[in-house]
Amino acid sequence: MRIDHERLPCGTELASLVLEVADGQPPADRLHEEGCPYCQAALRDVRQGWGEVEALIREAVPIPAGLTAQIMAAVRALARRAADSVLLGLPRGETRISHGVVGQTIQRLAAAVPGVVFASAKPLAHEPPEPGRLSVAIRLVVAFGPAIDTLADAVRQVVDRRIPRLTGAELGRIDITVVDVAEVPD
Amino acid sequence: MILPVDDWILLEAAQDGDVDAFEALVRRHQAAVYRVALRMLGSEADAQDATQETFVRAWRGLRRFRGESAVRTWLYRIVTRRCLDVIAARRPTEDLREAKLQTGADPAEIAEQRERLRAVTRIIAGLPGEQRAALVLREFEGLSYDQVAAVLNTSVPAVKGRIHRARLAVLKQTAPWR
Repeated sequence: MRIDHERLPCGTELASLVLEVADGQPPADRLHEEGCPYCQAALRDVRQGWGEVEALIREAVPIPAGLTAQIMAAVRALARRAADSVLLGLPRGETRISHGVVGQTIQRLAAAVPGVVFASAKPLAHEPPEPGRLSVAIRLVVAFGPAIDTLADAVRQVVDRRIPRLTGAELGRIDITVVDVAEVPD
Repeated sequence: MILPVDDWILLEAAQDGDVDAFEALVRRHQAAVYRVALRMLGSEADAQDATQETFVRAWRGLRRFRGESAVRTWLYRIVTRRCLDVIAARRPTEDLREAKLQTGADPAEIAEQRERLRAVTRIIAGLPGEQRAALVLREFEGLSYDQVAAVLNTSVPAVKGRIHRARLAVLKQTAPWR
């Protein structure tokens, strides 16, 4: 056991040998090290000991089953609590739909348009405020190839046509920003 | 499925309240976050809790994150802080007891490779928290000294010192096996 002292009897710092093994640094004095029995013995010891750590580093760490679901259940609960909502009607009590639900519905409709790689939607209160009416800002990442303006129009049309039917909310402005173009493998 | 979309696009969408975009970030980074938590805490149950707490804190802190570092670095910062809190809240003897179990162990009893891996895990989990964090980020996540210093909000020489002391401690505690 030679790891007890910071400096070997030959004067070599143990730290330099550890750096050599763990970080792959070149020896401070290669000539000395190669001929020194203290250095050679300490190096063997450090390599063996560090091998135990490297075995652990190489070990695969599986993600526990259900971890994503567990995380997202907690996050969605927080998101629901903080959500704004839009008033849809007042016939016999309020019906409200959260911005998050409208946003998620818009996001799914937009993402289903061929050529859209990723879509995100942020519902906004309509200006001026109007019951049952929202505006929305949509961000898209589109595949390289199709005409971007045509694709954006297709997204606007499908969202405008289907959101009232699916949610009961009317849309005012539908602003679309294409934030990136992705190469999508065939 | 991993989307071919940059982290910052998902981040901006999540900052606007898009939970699905945040989920894409979770799927992309949870393995690294869980790995750090597992190596720092030495317990799967604690690591799972720390991983969940990390992403909950990230969600709560989304609006304050201005992209001054990569998303992965930001998450490393949150998970190491969370783990250091967990370590600090543990009973003072808890980690030491686990580490000591191995120092006097008969090498024959830990000859099995799997047992050795568990033993090294326990030794690392017995290191002081700051050393543990630096060692895990450097060795298990492959961060440079500069990156470790950025995550731990300290200087590079301080990180090098912590890692050196951690490495020596591990080497000393595994010496009886050789």
